[in-house]
Amino acid sequence: MRLALIGLALLLAACGKDPPAVEGDPENGRLLLRQFGCGDCHDIPGVATAKGRAGPPLAGVAGRVYLGGVVPNTPESMAEFIRNPRRLEPRTRMPDLGVTHAHARDMVAYLYTLR
Amino acid sequence: MRLLRHFLLFGFLLTLAGTAVVGLGLYDISATDQHLRPTYRLLRTAMERSVERRAKDIAAPHLDAPAQIERGFVLFREHCVQCHGAPGVAPEPFAMALRPLATPLARSGRERSPQFIYWVVKHGIKMTGMPAWEFRFAEADLWSVVAFVKHLPSLSPSQYGRLTGATFEREEERREPDAKRGKRALEQYACVTCHEIPGIIGPEARLGPTLHGIGGRGTIGGVLENTPENMAAWIRSPRAYSANTAMPAMGVSARDARDMAAFLASQR
Repeated sequence: MRLALIGLALLLAACGKDPPAVEGDPENGRLLLRQFGCGDCHDIPGVATAKGRAGPPLAGVAGRVYLGGVVPNTPESMAEFIRNPRRLEPRTRMPDLGVTHAHARDMVAYLYTLR
Repeated sequence: MRLLRHFLLFGFLLTLAGTAVVGLGLYDISATDQHLRPTYRLLRTAMERSVERRAKDIAAPHLDAPAQIERGFVLFREHCVQCHGAPGVAPEPFAMALRPLATPLARSGRERSPQFIYWVVKHGIKMTGMPAWEFRFAEADLWSVVAFVKHLPSLSPSQYGRLTGATFEREEERREPDAKRGKRALEQYACVTCHEIPGIIGPEARLGPTLHGIGGRGTIGGVLENTPENMAAWIRSPRAYSANTAMPAMGVSARDARDMAAFLASQR
């Protein structure tokens, strides 16, 4: 019985596994997403004005397998996609907003909280 | 007299060598090692002469009716492209291991007479992968395939890609799109494997974005303006618009794509 309980606990722990550690400041990322106007095109939970519908909603984006349909989703590739979307998809409508490396890292830190 | 004796001796030795090669199993019949070039050429020439001889007196009908070419395309897509490939389309992996390799039919359409193509389609070719279709296709369908193969060299790869369904299904395209049917089509084409779709249950593995509210979204795949026409085109061949997209072409017909697009457009 005790073994079964331990097993169950382990199982639950495995299900609720933590997101991968992402460098950066998620709270600052949330503000940056707002300042860069990402919400003009994307619906971003937790960013008050972000209700755009030009691009896909970013709810659950941390769990999505591909970004822009073209690149496996990792914190690094997401930062790259934010900074230079056309390098990964030349025909994408997502603009290059001149996001710095540090800013992109913080944005990713926030977006990776959206599971 | 001496010459004759040498000649006979040579013939005897040749027969002996041939018997040994066959009888002892020395000839490598595997499909992983091709014939020697002279053997390959010999067999190819024998095949060509044989077909030419048997095909020359066949009377070919007219082969330029669009309906006939379209019918031929549908048969070609069902039964030929798997081994022969098509402009811009590779054969199936198993067919890459066929020896002899199947000929690209765009070439045959250029070089061979209709009679030649008809004969090969109808009778097949022994000891190759080419089956005889005589008892599989109706007589008119044999000629439809010939009509399409003759038409094939005039198509660019991108024209062929657009042809996949589109031309043949013109009649279908005159129908009003049916959103309810489109929802069933989305279910049947396994779209829910990768997308969350309202009212459809499945793995929802989130390889792609959610399709909840897709009707109100501005872009498709990040690259196309979201209109029902663009959506249908995207569904049928996503890589035409986003070369590196993970989304595969699922072999969706024009009608099914339009119905899917109608359903998706209604999801606000």
